[in-house]
Amino acid sequence: MELQIRNISKTYSNGRSAGAVQALKNVTLTIPTGMYGLLGPNGAGKSTLMRILATLQEPDAGSIRLGDIDVVNQPDEVRQTLGYLPQEFGVYPKARGEELLDYFAILKGFAERRSRKEVVEALLRKVNLWDVRKQKLGGYSGGMRQRFGVAVALLGNPKLLIVDEPTAGLDPAERVRFLNLLSELGENSVVILSTHIVDDVSELCTRMAIINKGEILHEAEPLKAMEALQGRIWRKIIQKNELAREHTVISTKLLGGRTVVHVYSEETPADFEPVQPDLEDVYFATMAGHVGTRKPDAAV
Amino acid sequence: MKFWAIFRFEFAYQIRRPWPWLSMAVLMVFAFFFTREAVLPVTLPQNFILNSPFIITVVSMFGCQIWLLLTPAISGEAAARDLQTRMHPLMFTSPIRKTDYLGGRFLAAFGLHALILLAVQVGSLLAVYGPGANPEIIGPFRPAAYLAAYGYIALSNALIATTFQFAVALFTARPMASYFGSLLLFFLSYPVTLTLYMAGLHGRALLADPIGVMAIMNEMMSNWTIVEKNVRLFTLEGAMLLNRLLWLGIALGTLSFLYWRFRFTHRTVTDPWAWLTRRFSTKAASSVATRSAAISVPYAPRSFGYATHLRQTIAVAQSSFRMIAASPGGLFLLIVFPMLLTFVVLVESQHWGIPLLPRTSYLLTKHLTGVLTSPTNYWIMVPLFTIYYAGELVWQERDAGLSEKVDATPVPEWVLFLGKLIGLGLILAALMAIVAVVGITVQVIKGYHQFEIERYVQVLLGFKLTDYLLFATLAMTVQAVVNQKYVGQMVALVTYLLMVFSSYLGIKHHLLVYASGPEWSFSDMRGFSSIEPWLWFRLYWAAWALLLAVVARLLWVRGRESGFSRRLQIARLRFRGATAGFAVIGVGLVLILGGYIFYNTNGLNEYVTDDDVVQRRADYERLYGKYEGIPQPTRVATTLQIEIYPDQNRATIRGRYRLVNRSAVPIGAVHLEPAFYVRTRMSFDRSANVVVADDKLGHFIYALDKPLQPGDSLTLHFDVEFEPRGFRNSGLRTNAAGQAILENGTYITGDALPIIGYQPMRELWSADDRRKYGLPRQITLPDPGDVDPSVTANAPATFEATIGTDADQVAVAPGVLRRSWREAGRRYFHYASVTPINGRDVFFSANYAVHRERWKHVDLQVYVHPGHREHLERLLRSVRAALNYYSAQFGTYPFRFLQLVEQPGNFMGMGVDGSGVITGGEGFFLLDPQDNGFDAIFEIVAHEMGHQWWGMQLKPAFAEGGGVLSESLAWYSAMQLVKKEKDREALRRFMSIMREPDPWPPMRTGLPLLRAMDPWANYRKGPYAMNALSEYVGEDCVNGALRTLIAKKASSLATTIDMYRELQAVTPDSLKPLLADLFERNTSWTFDTRQATGKQTAAGTWQVTFQVESHKVVADSAGVDTEVPVNQWVEIGVFAPAQSGEMLGKPLYVQKHFIRSGRQTITVTVPQKPARGGIDPYNLLDWEEGDNIEEVTIEK
Repeated sequence: MELQIRNISKTYSNGRSAGAVQALKNVTLTIPTGMYGLLGPNGAGKSTLMRILATLQEPDAGSIRLGDIDVVNQPDEVRQTLGYLPQEFGVYPKARGEELLDYFAILKGFAERRSRKEVVEALLRKVNLWDVRKQKLGGYSGGMRQRFGVAVALLGNPKLLIVDEPTAGLDPAERVRFLNLLSELGENSVVILSTHIVDDVSELCTRMAIINKGEILHEAEPLKAMEALQGRIWRKIIQKNELAREHTVISTKLLGGRTVVHVYSEETPADFEPVQPDLEDVYFATMAGHVGTRKPDAAV
Repeated sequence: MKFWAIFRFEFAYQIRRPWPWLSMAVLMVFAFFFTREAVLPVTLPQNFILNSPFIITVVSMFGCQIWLLLTPAISGEAAARDLQTRMHPLMFTSPIRKTDYLGGRFLAAFGLHALILLAVQVGSLLAVYGPGANPEIIGPFRPAAYLAAYGYIALSNALIATTFQFAVALFTARPMASYFGSLLLFFLSYPVTLTLYMAGLHGRALLADPIGVMAIMNEMMSNWTIVEKNVRLFTLEGAMLLNRLLWLGIALGTLSFLYWRFRFTHRTVTDPWAWLTRRFSTKAASSVATRSAAISVPYAPRSFGYATHLRQTIAVAQSSFRMIAASPGGLFLLIVFPMLLTFVVLVESQHWGIPLLPRTSYLLTKHLTGVLTSPTNYWIMVPLFTIYYAGELVWQERDAGLSEKVDATPVPEWVLFLGKLIGLGLILAALMAIVAVVGITVQVIKGYHQFEIERYVQVLLGFKLTDYLLFATLAMTVQAVVNQKYVGQMVALVTYLLMVFSSYLGIKHHLLVYASGPEWSFSDMRGFSSIEPWLWFRLYWAAWALLLAVVARLLWVRGRESGFSRRLQIARLRFRGATAGFAVIGVGLVLILGGYIFYNTNGLNEYVTDDDVVQRRADYERLYGKYEGIPQPTRVATTLQIEIYPDQNRATIRGRYRLVNRSAVPIGAVHLEPAFYVRTRMSFDRSANVVVADDKLGHFIYALDKPLQPGDSLTLHFDVEFEPRGFRNSGLRTNAAGQAILENGTYITGDALPIIGYQPMRELWSADDRRKYGLPRQITLPDPGDVDPSVTANAPATFEATIGTDADQVAVAPGVLRRSWREAGRRYFHYASVTPINGRDVFFSANYAVHRERWKHVDLQVYVHPGHREHLERLLRSVRAALNYYSAQFGTYPFRFLQLVEQPGNFMGMGVDGSGVITGGEGFFLLDPQDNGFDAIFEIVAHEMGHQWWGMQLKPAFAEGGGVLSESLAWYSAMQLVKKEKDREALRRFMSIMREPDPWPPMRTGLPLLRAMDPWANYRKGPYAMNALSEYVGEDCVNGALRTLIAKKASSLATTIDMYRELQAVTPDSLKPLLADLFERNTSWTFDTRQATGKQTAAGTWQVTFQVESHKVVADSAGVDTEVPVNQWVEIGVFAPAQSGEMLGKPLYVQKHFIRSGRQTITVTVPQKPARGGIDPYNLLDWEEGDNIEEVTIEK
């Protein structure tokens, strides 16, 4: 099974005459089975793409196919094999965990009572909510609520699982537990993980795409992408007000109170030391326009 | 500073939203139409002014009531938007004070509401000064009237309502909860207040109403004269002032409480039950384990067919049901409301303090059901709750932030819509089931054990639930289509108001008003009737509901696509397969059912609009008015052969009138008017030609070949046929209380027979309509002095009828029952009256229980439903006593029969239809007087018996004061009979019941008795005045005067002037001023015993000293009071201690003393130890009970 996204565009008419915002421009992606990371800054269009894939929005143009299913025109078929964990969601605060999951199981087509109970129980155990299944959802912590969302998304072994910024707001332990859960799924399904946290992608995904301002800038396998940057990323520790104008700075960050600058250079710049490129460097280099399938300037 | 910033931001934020403007528009339109159309014809029949303070006030009042339900979201948003949007952490951590935050938000909401309510005044002004207003009925512009209405009513209500809406929203952290706050206020202001009022707790009712509707309507509607209504300015005084002070106090108290309780803190889910159980479960939850990977989810089959969709629908329905049932509103609806209802039914099941038998038909029709589109009692709460919860259900996922997860599941839209609708339907069904339990509970409490469970099920879960489900479908569809929560609530409410007020907007055909149709009826005698038209209309609306459901499914918002054009595109995609199929089926059913109904209402039967009726009446007067008063033959004998076929809903009447020319000139043409709803054939026993045959206006003129000479007679033959012809817009031929030929409980009247001559009663009445059609203006009833004393009464005629019906029924017609026999499987009865009778002839056929006895020359017949025989003996006791006493006092009972017939239909009343015939509705037979207590049956029958003299023998002219001649004298007779037959103590108890302000609160202003028109004067003041006169002048003299009056006016119409002349003749000169005070002027006396002390004298007797105060006031027609000196003889009474069952003990002393105005001391001596005493102890002159009698304080 493969998810093929072809030339998807989506424009929001933003309220009054302030003009339209183009959230997606001609996006084309092919996503195979396995974990796929969609990386991009806030407002890049990730959530719009996720919602279109989850049948909650319709693109202005373009087509999407999941195997034989036309995602845009056959939403009912997609929903039968879809798992969706939105960026933000609420729960009925007065409902109990088990009760609401059972409700969702019915909505997802588990009509037979006994087997549904087994599925619900297994999922609750899997996301480690079995012990609190009788508690009201209003009393769940952020992590528990997120895991509850995962349980809902996992109902029915979805062939397409869409996970929108799932680890934002999770503590490190919860995050690890959560990523473990996801990694299990990549074996048979298309799992799309949208995030702005680079580590999520590097730890989980076999393939990834970087998106900004509605355009796919770079589509690659994380390992290969890092390899491709080998010998091109350099770093230097500088004073705060020092600005390395002559270099193409791709990222600056603070380390123990001092500023660490990463630059992209195909030759060895003076005073810089080489760095083993990580996915973050790939991300920033892509955002700065040094690597990728399309240069951002072309779109302007 | 911060306060103003918060206020400004909130105000500006909300004023940019659509709902303040929409609600202003709604209120403006409402006020416009209410001022122009709706309020006028009902409240002020004559001489009203469109911009009178009364109308301005009433419009403001009802505007407030609608506003209350329209815009609670404004307070809700101001109070809870921060919490709802989870922005509160940012807001609550800002350095602001509670006063600034709450105050600013509250004032912004209040300000918005004040602004919105201005729209009512604007609409009201537009109605007066806008285009199309009739300048004749516009008075001078009085800004004070608008300011008073806005200030005293609108602003005070804005403050009270905003407080409650704000408080509920803030505490629940949900803006929508403000609707619940509004519903509670509405519940208090309408159903609860009305119930208290009906239960006789008037003072409490006036106070309990947070909106002040009752206080205003009670004070202004009933107590102001027409002149006052036009000119008097509304101010806060009396009950209304108390009411406002109380509720503003409650509002301020609530605000302080709010301020005190409010904290800038994080809200956690508070659940008392969770708090209780937390101890047992929290520990397990905190265990940290990373063992997720070890568990594999077992395979389970999934399916996506219709069976699964069905299962999903049930799951959604269950979830929706639980959501509502567990919410505060649901608990209120399903638990608190039924408990209140039980209480209300128990309290209200009485009439005049007499308990009513809780028969199932009574409970179901009177208390446990309400018509959806005619909300006259607490049942209005059901549609309001339906609107509220339809919104909550449609928005449930989105409010919880769960919509994306639900929308991404493989569930078709129709499952979500249908599931929610079923959930709401289950709530309504549960409510109906609980209401059935309420009914049975009431019956058990009252010791009534004939439970008719299947009737409860049929009515509540059949008829009522159907209507509520239809409405729920509409409400859900509106919410789904509008897709803006508050606007959705508003649109649903306005839709409901349109349904309710459709008839005022001129839309009367039930095919055009959703979920409307003829109502079913249910009575013990008739069982269910009018079911067939009910069913056809409901099927028709169910087809519409199906179409609504299709629309809801097509426009159901899923995911993020909420733009309307986008939704239309999606709808086009969704319109296929089963959805399209259902749409086609729906349209087909609407056309077929609608066509069938239209064929019945407009094809088989003539559909006449109100405008048509007005037009026809105008045409009638214009074309035939010239024949008014021309000599016409008089009917002197009626002979009828009636065949009733109950099973076939059919009847035929073959009859003849003997007509005599009683005038002095020959009559060349006879004018005949057959009834509209039957087929009539007419012919004379001599040759005559039809000159005019106006079927539409119902006027026929027959020119006689040979004129009818004075004193000559002719015979009119006619055949009248009642035949079932489908159903009308109003159902079967008439409603439960009206004429119908049914399997059991047939009732038809002589109105179906042809009438002789032009009928002025058929002319247009309303001044407005007459003006519109250019008919000469008819101001009011003529003054009694203006009536031509020579006008003769309609001559009575002898009567004879043979009436046949099914073998198992008894048929009734007026007259002595001469004979009854069986023939060809049918039963026949022959009734006759050789004494000429008048009034309306009535005919019945039902499975009656018959009681017959003789009283002197009279054939006394009683016909009641076999199950309604409990108090037959009480009824007969009253009839016999009345025949004896009235015959002795006012002249012999002239007829040879007296019939008492139970008329099918659930109405309470009893009335006189004609000579010798008294009918009571099935409701009358619910009266269940206990033992020797007050016996309303005796009093009411005595009153109706009185009408056999006052109304049937003495016939009042069509003039002012006519009601005094019939109603006042009939009640006076009943009072005399009670005094005679029982004692003064019984009369005292009877009068205390009469004094209850419901249904007629006392009016101290208005016209004097001689010209009286209002019901209080006719039914209360008149009898009181006659009673006082009989005590002062002497019963024999007064009754003798009345007997003379009957004798003198045997063949002509009487006015109050005639009566007054006879009363003056028997009143000694010393009492003439009192007579004038009672009849010529509006005089009211107030007597107050301030202190009563008693002391034993040396002789062993007791000396009692009273400090009394007295006043006498004369009011003119505009309500201006003038105090005049009392200076007259008034009774002083002293009474022994009351025995059990007595209100007052044995009288020790009752004598008249000369009393002046103001305070004075009176001393009397009595032989025994006194207990109580005072001035005017029997309320002869001071008609308001209370302070006349005091306990006598014994001095040592």
